[in-house]
Amino acid sequence: MSELAVPTPLDRLAAGPSSGSQLPTEDREAQLLWRLRYSVARTRLRQLLTTARLRTALVTGLSLFFWTGLFLLFYEGFTFIVDNVGMAGATYHAPTVRFVFHLFFASLNVMLVFSSGIILYTSLYNSPETQYLLTLPIRSERIVLYKFQEAVFYSSWGFFLLASPIMIAYGIVVGAPWSYYVLLLPLIIAFVSIPCGVGAILCLLVIHRLPKLRKIVVFGAAFAVLAIAGPLIWRTISSPQSRLFGSEWFQETLYRFRFTQQEWLPSTWLTNGLLEAARIRAVGITSNVTDLPVVQSTLYLALLISNALFLHVLTVWAAKRLFRVSFSNFAARRTRRRPVRMAWSDRIAQALLFGFPKPLQLLIIKDWQLLRRDPVQWSQFLIFFGLLGLYFLNVDRFNNPHSDIGYMTWINMVSFLNLAVVGLILSTFTTRFIYPMISLEGHCFWILGLLPVERDTILWSKFWFASLGSWVPCALLVLLSDMMLQVPTLVICVHQLTCVLLCLGLASIAVGFGAMMPNFHETSPSKIAAGFGGTLNLVLSALYIMVVVVLTALPCHFYLLAGKGPWGSEFFSPQYLKMWLIAGTGAAIIVGAIATVIPLQRGLRAFRQLEFI
Amino acid sequence: MIEFQQVSRSYGEKLAVDNLSLSIAAGELYSLLGHNGAGKTTAIKILVGLMRPGTGAVRVGGFDVVTCTRQAVALIGYVPDQPFLYDKLSGREVLQFVGRMYGLDQQQTARAIEREVERFELAEFVDELTESYSHGMKQRTVFASALLCRPRVLVVDEPMVGLDPHSIRLVKDLLKLEVADGMCVLMSTHTLSAAEEISNRIGIMSHGRLVFDGTVSELRQRFGGEQQSLEAMYLALTAAGNNAAGATHLKGSGRAVRITNE
Repeated sequence: MSELAVPTPLDRLAAGPSSGSQLPTEDREAQLLWRLRYSVARTRLRQLLTTARLRTALVTGLSLFFWTGLFLLFYEGFTFIVDNVGMAGATYHAPTVRFVFHLFFASLNVMLVFSSGIILYTSLYNSPETQYLLTLPIRSERIVLYKFQEAVFYSSWGFFLLASPIMIAYGIVVGAPWSYYVLLLPLIIAFVSIPCGVGAILCLLVIHRLPKLRKIVVFGAAFAVLAIAGPLIWRTISSPQSRLFGSEWFQETLYRFRFTQQEWLPSTWLTNGLLEAARIRAVGITSNVTDLPVVQSTLYLALLISNALFLHVLTVWAAKRLFRVSFSNFAARRTRRRPVRMAWSDRIAQALLFGFPKPLQLLIIKDWQLLRRDPVQWSQFLIFFGLLGLYFLNVDRFNNPHSDIGYMTWINMVSFLNLAVVGLILSTFTTRFIYPMISLEGHCFWILGLLPVERDTILWSKFWFASLGSWVPCALLVLLSDMMLQVPTLVICVHQLTCVLLCLGLASIAVGFGAMMPNFHETSPSKIAAGFGGTLNLVLSALYIMVVVVLTALPCHFYLLAGKGPWGSEFFSPQYLKMWLIAGTGAAIIVGAIATVIPLQRGLRAFRQLEFI
Repeated sequence: MIEFQQVSRSYGEKLAVDNLSLSIAAGELYSLLGHNGAGKTTAIKILVGLMRPGTGAVRVGGFDVVTCTRQAVALIGYVPDQPFLYDKLSGREVLQFVGRMYGLDQQQTARAIEREVERFELAEFVDELTESYSHGMKQRTVFASALLCRPRVLVVDEPMVGLDPHSIRLVKDLLKLEVADGMCVLMSTHTLSAAEEISNRIGIMSHGRLVFDGTVSELRQRFGGEQQSLEAMYLALTAAGNNAAGATHLKGSGRAVRITNE
């Protein structure tokens, strides 16, 4: 710092605010915060395009792939409806499409309330930025609105990704007029503002009135929603096979979900607005101007906008009165200090590791304790694996006679696809949690570095922790899928072998690359995983999964279908196929061994020479 | 300029600030001392509007921090113990945002930034993203941000932590000069030597209570020994606070000292 030249008191009075009179107006505050957001976003974008091209290309490519897949799926679905029910305006068209839209938008309505409320809670009450902004002379309601806009964006981007292909596919299939496409975006934006506004007000009220019970309130509400929706969904999909998709089943399903078509729901206004916008005006029929489809749609848009604005006013009102008080109450809540001790799961893990050397056992138990005490880490995978489990439990709902060759092909393909899906989810787990482990150790390496253990032992502990920890849930999930699909014993054995290869290979890639490309400057595991090394790890893991699954799946597929299909090529004779099966499995084992040994070997070499800074 | 009137605040059942009454005038540097959890940071958070007093009132320049939060906060420059800077903005962009938020126009902001850039020697890195700053660079930028709009009140929470001896010297000189210029400074610190050197007055908090409020000389008078170090007196005082909840008697150089909660 240079010579400390302090301005005169006259300067102080001239330059500084002596009271609130010189402070920015509400509009000026909003402009400044938008400018701040723009500057931050511009820097992030520039960094993404210059330093994270691989990740950006991967995310953009996968999003486009996902969007296109959804578009094609819904295009086919709406074509089926139009072919079998009729075009827009036909007697049963609107009720059929309305049912799909109502169900879809009503579900998203509820999800948006939860997601926007939770995101706003995190960004308002658990964010250093909010704490900083509160120390500046900014209006409380402006801070809440600033964070609310972010919450709307983060909670609804998934909605846009899901809803836009559906809307566009529907418009194309029914030949909607241009006004439909013009009204799409305003309809969707006005719609998402309503549940997000409700979520924001609930968030402010819950933290203001029940800061200690916030988790109970959120989990209680989620449980209530599941308790209502769960039985309805279960009754729908658990109908006897013979009734599934019959007219009676369809009528019952419509009746069961009639509550999603209540006139007071914003999802109903959106559905009606979309259907009206897509309706083509009948030629030659003169009618009142308010009966025109585009006018009707605009009226629904006006209804959505007026409710969104009303909620906006309510949010501002609540923010003005509640935010600072609730922030203060939340900051002053008493956090409970709980003594931690060895849990039953630690003891089980310790017992299962009895064959390992003691230092390795201790390191694995330490990583296990860190994982289980951080719900942010395991809860995401509990949700993913839980959803996969639910899907596997219902995977044979649409089965056919087992002698059908088409069915057998389908079963075999689905079973291997399920295996690949389990592998892909596992690869996101190893990228998100295993890959950053070495980087995170760098911050407290003074503990491990001073222990009387070899550096190799530390890396081996990560490898065994990752491979054993992932093998148990993956093997169980794949077994569940195989049992539900009733695949032959041979395929079950091949799947279990593939599962072991995947767990070992993915663990080795994550641990090896984590040691070769550590990032000691970052403390957030998600940011470490999102860097170049993490993205490379994810891409290589996905390639490895595809290679191993294809190597084991194709020969197995042909082996099972040999002699059962209409073709009689010599190529499919049992002796060739057995050879293919053995060769494919052998090749998969070789690829698995290479993917396990090489990254681990390179990782060990890099880790021995690593300097922790 | 700063006035705490019988302020209390609790965390659940734990009383963090207990009936705190304190006035700090313009042109005065007040150091708040106390062990971890004594209530210093809670008192500061109430002052800067991050928390509300459970009972009592806090005024800054006559503005109540609860009812006129914005006007009160506009008079304060705040350097927190864990400073926040937007990592995707440069130091200059952060300073521009702060200047405009305090109501300075573009030219006034630019002039104020140049003044603080020179004063805190930020020129070398002020146009780089703050994510690349060292702790010292961040701390200097936060000081520049707090002083950018010439606040009447400066609140600093642990300003010496992580600074090298040269920077500590400069911070102390800066605070002394600003106080001489009429600024009111409230500093929370564990660095007793710094508090003794630059403060006009010190306050010692223990278990949420202000167990001493006065000059270092007055503290020595109470302990009856001119040669007593601030550290020894502080340790004796806070140890007494640990042992008793209310008024207590201390043995200081053979003379009983009554420590009251007023």
